[in-house]
Amino acid sequence: MAQILADRRDIDFVLYEQLKVEELAKHKPFADFNRKAVDLIVSEARNLAVKEILPTQVDGDRIGAHFANGAVTMPTSFHKAWKALVDGEWLAMSDDAEWGGQGMPHTVASAATDYLMGANFAFMLTAGLTHGAGKLVEKLGTDKQKELYLQKLYSGEWCGTMLLTEAEAGSDVGALSATATPNPDGTYSITGNKIFISAGEHDLVPNIIHPVLARIEGAPAGTAGISMFLVPKFRVNDDGSLGEFNDVVCTGIEEKMGIHGNATCSLSLGSKGQCIGTLLGEPNKGMRGMFMMMNEARLMVGSEGLACASTSYLYAVNYARTRVQSRHLLKGADKSAPSVPIIQHPDVRRMLMTMKCYVEGMRSLGYFVSHCMDRNHVATQAEEKARTQALIDLLIPIAKGYVTERAFEVCSLGVQVYGGYGYCREFPVEQLLRDVRITAIYEGTNGIQALDLIGRKLSQNNGQAIQDLFASMKSAISNAQDLARTAPVAARLATALARLETVTTHMTTTMQSDPMTGSAHAFTFMEAVGDMVMAWMLLWRANLAAAALQAGAKEKDSAFYEGQIMSAEFYTRNLLPVTLGRMEAILGASSIANDIPEDAFGGK
Amino acid sequence: MEILVCVKRVPDSAENEISVASGGADISREDLVYAVNEWDNYAVEEAIQIVEREGGSVTVVALGDSDTEEVVRREMAMGAEAGLMLVDDAFAGSDGLGVATILKAAAEKKSYDLILTGAQADDGAAQVGGMLAALLDRPYASLVNKVEVNGPTLRIGREIEGGSQELSDIDLPCVLSIQTGINEPRYVGLRGIRKVASVEIPVLDGAALGVDAAAVGQAAAKVRRVDYFVPAVGAGADMLTGSTKEVAAQLVDLLKAKGGLN
Repeated sequence: MAQILADRRDIDFVLYEQLKVEELAKHKPFADFNRKAVDLIVSEARNLAVKEILPTQVDGDRIGAHFANGAVTMPTSFHKAWKALVDGEWLAMSDDAEWGGQGMPHTVASAATDYLMGANFAFMLTAGLTHGAGKLVEKLGTDKQKELYLQKLYSGEWCGTMLLTEAEAGSDVGALSATATPNPDGTYSITGNKIFISAGEHDLVPNIIHPVLARIEGAPAGTAGISMFLVPKFRVNDDGSLGEFNDVVCTGIEEKMGIHGNATCSLSLGSKGQCIGTLLGEPNKGMRGMFMMMNEARLMVGSEGLACASTSYLYAVNYARTRVQSRHLLKGADKSAPSVPIIQHPDVRRMLMTMKCYVEGMRSLGYFVSHCMDRNHVATQAEEKARTQALIDLLIPIAKGYVTERAFEVCSLGVQVYGGYGYCREFPVEQLLRDVRITAIYEGTNGIQALDLIGRKLSQNNGQAIQDLFASMKSAISNAQDLARTAPVAARLATALARLETVTTHMTTTMQSDPMTGSAHAFTFMEAVGDMVMAWMLLWRANLAAAALQAGAKEKDSAFYEGQIMSAEFYTRNLLPVTLGRMEAILGASSIANDIPEDAFGGK
Repeated sequence: MEILVCVKRVPDSAENEISVASGGADISREDLVYAVNEWDNYAVEEAIQIVEREGGSVTVVALGDSDTEEVVRREMAMGAEAGLMLVDDAFAGSDGLGVATILKAAAEKKSYDLILTGAQADDGAAQVGGMLAALLDRPYASLVNKVEVNGPTLRIGREIEGGSQELSDIDLPCVLSIQTGINEPRYVGLRGIRKVASVEIPVLDGAALGVDAAAVGQAAAKVRRVDYFVPAVGAGADMLTGSTKEVAAQLVDLLKAKGGLN
């Protein structure tokens, strides 16, 4: 059968064979989530995604969000899909039941998200932001704030956002100028203008709750003086009912390249002096709150990238199977030979293999990070808790920065497989390429992800996390020793890993001795680490597949398992040499990017 | 109201490309994706809605092998209170009458006011509902697309030829076969899944049901499938080929030539 959005066999492989997710049910917090429940969750997420959310994909792009007189109207189909999402309680899959969450393992939620995001991530972004706002309230809110807002956010009855960016404060959050003036009753009057606010205004729900970063009058400059406030679109009475409009005015929405199904709003707060907020967390600790949310938000963006890549790949491979064009290469001279499906042409196969490798590697990585979060949650030993947390922190820039870079490449290949049709709006791969592009930019650009990796994550715990990552890679290499099919793959990975260890030491010292040069190579380093994580995941998969084939797999599984070994072979033979080149570039420590005079860039 | 809904696990026709197996007596079942029969899903939704209005409970029953559990559990996650599986090697290969005989035995395990089936199954012959009603000696209405409870009777709507609608009253207890479109089946949500995740679903075999093994199954079937094939393309049909644009142009030319368009 033709799979769309995500390949169910692949999802099941990662869940059950690679990560053995059903074992989480042995731990009390996850006792409800046995294999039967997990199967049903993934099936029903797919059902909802295909039947209800996928139809919003084109509406979102063609009709889009419409702005008039301060209000944003979403396409009709979005309302029905939102109701279905809310009715099924899909917004707070992994959260505390006390506040309406479902307590599901993050790993299982990743699988459900694969489908929901693949159907329309611009739509799901609204849900993700709502969940994020809820999480902030759960972690930092007072009892009163939780009582007023939390259940309504986690249920999706109301929506949430994140108001961070201002015209002069994007990547440099510390430059923000939104102001909070204390009122005698303990609330704050908020004034300021925020831009690039995803789902900042829309008509899907009656109220929108904005966590807002602002500076209390007199607070220090920079990030040390930033506080966080909860600012509802409509004030909320003590009994939970809606009060008066809170002077949060949408002044416009951006005309963007993609994700037209999500209104990117400019919001003016307190232009009439009537915007009231309550402090969320401690004064001047707003950035700490942001950082609490960062892992989750960045992982979500990574899952958007994966979902677009997975969807584009499945469209492309199914198209290549049916699109007939040109004779088989070996029958080119035979004028009577029939044209063949383009999947038979070597260059199309090269593109499909590249897409397949990255989609599989990215899926395994995304679910693995989620699995680390679950293991962290159930860990009883402090050491295991610290180890898993450090691994999560280390891998986040890869799961966001690297994954979204490769996701764009995969979606670009998806267009290429379709040829001229791929460039036409009639075919879905065109929209996926436009939509996925934002994932490399928002929630910290990928350049910032690279700096986070090299500047913060590499050195945490004296570099123990990256050593743990290398140890995991070595374990996969060693597991291949007795498997004839994957031993050559492991040997290639071992060679590259030895080089990466050298490169890592080099980068660590360069960042201290010559941070300008080090930083100029930070992105390449993130790519190298990400490439190696892909190789590790593909080897891990291939080892399992080789063992399953040795043990005598069922006929219908054999092609899948062969495909796993082929992915690892292709990746380590065709793509990993490029990684070795990247690592040579890093070791070369060229400072050319910094040395070139600005005038020499030309264009004057 | 106590309602029993008979459901079946079938190859999902929206998800599969169905082909005839090499043996010729069945479809190729390798790699098929199964789901609850679409008509049955409407029947379960209707039962849940009736219980939400009138009180009572919904039990879902399915005949099949152990894999059938996945659809019973799904329909329970949707809102049915109880599930029941009828599994016995002796049931395999039953014809419509055999299936109705087994379901009758299950229906008699409890006093149900209303029994619903789907109007037909993707791989069925639209016969079990009527046979079950006859075996139970209960009134029966087929192709039902509206149900209103009025005390001891139901006001039911039926779809009839030409788009017309027929309204009838039917006495309870009764059997109805449900047509698609009667409602909009709800999606299964996470809370429902968690609720039924660890529920043990009772399994009854022939002995537990008191069904004579000789009366059901392949050996007792009086209707036997002898062949399964894709009919040969007949004469008298012109197949238009080419791109959508080309096919549309050919169609317009044909319509013009035959006087359908001026």
